[in-house]
Amino acid sequence: MMIQPFCRALIGLIALAAVPAAALEIVATAPSMGALAREIAGPGAQVTVLAGPQQDLHRLQAKPSMMRSLRDADLLVAIGAELEVGWLPVAISSAANPRIQPGRPGYFEAAAQVDLLDKGGSADRAQGDVHPVGNPHIDLDPVRMAAVGQALAGRLAQLDPAAAATYRARAEAFATQAAARTAGWQEQLAGAPGAVLYHRDALYLLDRFDLPLLGTIEPIPGVPPTGRQLSALTAALKGGRGVILYTPYQSSQAPQALARDLGWTAIQLPLEPPADADGTGYLDHIGRWVAALASAR
Amino acid sequence: MRHSLPQGALCAALLTPLLAPLPAAAASDPEIAELRASLNQIKNQYERRIADLESRLATAERQAARAARESEAAAAAKQAQAAAAESQPMTAPTVGPAAPSPAAPSGGVLGALTSGSAFNPQIAVILDGNYYHDGIGGEGSALVGAAYQPSQLAPHTHGEEAAGEAAAHSHGAAENGFNFREAELSFTATVDPYLDAALFVAIDGDGEVELEEGWFHTRGLPYGLRIKGGKFLSDFGYINKQHPHQWDFVDQNLPYLNLLGAHGLQDTGAQLTWLPPLPFYTLLGAELAQGDQERFGAVVDADQRALLADNAGYLGEENEGPRLWTAFAKVAPNLPERHALQFGASYARNNQHQEVQGHSHEVAAEHADEHEHEDEEVVHYNALAGYADIWGLDLVYKYDGGGAEGHKGFKFQTEYLRSTKDLSIRSSPHPEALGASRDFTSDGLYAQAVYGFAPKWTAGLRYDIFGMTNEVTGGPTAQDFGSSDRWTLDITWNLSEFSRLRAQYAKNDILVEPGQRERFDAFYLQFLMSMGSHGAHVF
Repeated sequence: MMIQPFCRALIGLIALAAVPAAALEIVATAPSMGALAREIAGPGAQVTVLAGPQQDLHRLQAKPSMMRSLRDADLLVAIGAELEVGWLPVAISSAANPRIQPGRPGYFEAAAQVDLLDKGGSADRAQGDVHPVGNPHIDLDPVRMAAVGQALAGRLAQLDPAAAATYRARAEAFATQAAARTAGWQEQLAGAPGAVLYHRDALYLLDRFDLPLLGTIEPIPGVPPTGRQLSALTAALKGGRGVILYTPYQSSQAPQALARDLGWTAIQLPLEPPADADGTGYLDHIGRWVAALASAR
Repeated sequence: MRHSLPQGALCAALLTPLLAPLPAAAASDPEIAELRASLNQIKNQYERRIADLESRLATAERQAARAARESEAAAAAKQAQAAAAESQPMTAPTVGPAAPSPAAPSGGVLGALTSGSAFNPQIAVILDGNYYHDGIGGEGSALVGAAYQPSQLAPHTHGEEAAGEAAAHSHGAAENGFNFREAELSFTATVDPYLDAALFVAIDGDGEVELEEGWFHTRGLPYGLRIKGGKFLSDFGYINKQHPHQWDFVDQNLPYLNLLGAHGLQDTGAQLTWLPPLPFYTLLGAELAQGDQERFGAVVDADQRALLADNAGYLGEENEGPRLWTAFAKVAPNLPERHALQFGASYARNNQHQEVQGHSHEVAAEHADEHEHEDEEVVHYNALAGYADIWGLDLVYKYDGGGAEGHKGFKFQTEYLRSTKDLSIRSSPHPEALGASRDFTSDGLYAQAVYGFAPKWTAGLRYDIFGMTNEVTGGPTAQDFGSSDRWTLDITWNLSEFSRLRAQYAKNDILVEPGQRERFDAFYLQFLMSMGSHGAHVF
């Protein structure tokens, strides 16, 4: 007779456990990944972004609140290709969450879903902070981001099969939107002369629109220029057209000096969209970069 | 009881359909077909979008793969390998997006892109050397770890074990001139889907090899739990688990050096941590370890035992392990993205602590042929045993200034440590003293701040003090102890993420024994070189 209430309690417990989790908890390392996750996963998912748009994703430090966010995540969306290597592995390992370990469906690396530029090369740090696995800054290319969005929809479908069709439809809609705006940007950038970057971080954007990278202010990755290197760059670019683009965490001294010497403009733009952006917010952010590239004289 | 069987069967029958949806979430045949269809759909869309070059590359790879399958000749296989190597240089073969295996799930490639995984385990080497000079002939770097405290072998015993001497041979002590402190080799890897492991080996300037850490920890435990086992640096306090090259100053602070020794709490054992589902970061943990410590829960060695040969009483043997346990809690409130703050509280107990203490007696010389009545000093040794406790509080605040190369970044860090040793006299030349209890209490504090005053450049300031409290209870005489303290200033130049040069100046005021102080200046020039895989920035 004792077994009946026990049985009922057990059934009740299992019924409780079988209720699907309220919403997918997604943690994104960067605002661009957060924007993509919001766009593809839709309003049902809860998205947390670990780094702000002004922060350098490569030099960030793991902080305890990140581990707290990662502890309950169902899915981690990272840019990957060693961009977050300084802090994400530590944060993942301290978060004690088996679902988001690399190799599990809860770990999603955007750079692993598309082809990378700057791949190969020698693993020789005399060349600076090089990453032979490829240039990780894929998130400034709207077309690659659309492809990442489709892969992300597949991953979400795997984690939440019930809404698989919704995720695919949202990814498809985003790809269409991105393609339409990319076509507009192609026209806007016709005849643009290209840009000088501080670091090869907007390379994918230039590559998408077939614009030349006129030079980088740092001679090799992660190493600021000397005065002589800067004058050599000035001499090489003298008389040409272009624009200088750099991010908030890069020193403005050298870009401004170069702009003065060349008579160009130096524009500071964050690599990442605002932290609360969705797909449209992300595309607007690309729009700002395109406008900056188009403003070259 | 006769009813229980059918009811049990009913229970099972009721449970089965309820349990069924859980495994069904994995995959059913129509779902697999659907997933496969969507995979193909995505593939098609993707292939339309990628650049011509990539398509050609993929085609070449497919042909190469087919060639390898169709022909069993070794030549054909080699050709295929060559083709694959050309298409994806310097990339682990499993991570290329162009050639997903037929078994790959529809969510795309699961693994991480990392060149480090081409070397399994990841290997890094850190070189740590310095030029050191102090005003007292090079004694200073050992002396800062041998500040006078009530619980230690008093230096005036004239024994070889005088604390200063012992510390002089300890890890990391510098001589005036050039010193190679250590080369640290680290190997880290994911062992299997369940475990990660790491090995840290230090080779000092004399070529002596020392195992610093060798541990594994779990990756798959639920509920925010993690288990770590092996030899590791305890999570007690904040700076304890940092390796010397991670410090913001060349040398360790006074409380850690004097209460825990040059290695800190480093022991062999097991650790359990739990990240509870609270709205802010909280980490609770406990450790159980063997208890082989140099300062906190030390056991006397054979040489020290020899000093007790003529004593009454018996000190006792070394207990079986594990003798040491710790408990710690860390809490970090949620702050805006540029700010990080963490509070910690820690406690540790070592169930066995032994020490030999010397005290001298003035005995009038009684030799008949002496004309002068000179007093002779006789040293007596007591051996004490009991247990040792230590607790600590820590606070760390970091601010990300957002400037280039660490410019405008700020970090403040402070810890307080308090140690109590509850001992009794077990062996003594004075039989009446046996069993008398002696409690020793010492404490220390450090506070340090580091600021990025220019891109690549940081300046640090540290104040550390040891012995604000110096108590012995139960002793026959009250001794007048004082404290030791130090001001340290350093400037660090981070040439890149992988190399660092540092200049450090310290003004020391160290209590050597009651009433006797060493005041000296100490200067370091340090280099730190990091080779191999990319280091992590731990909080």
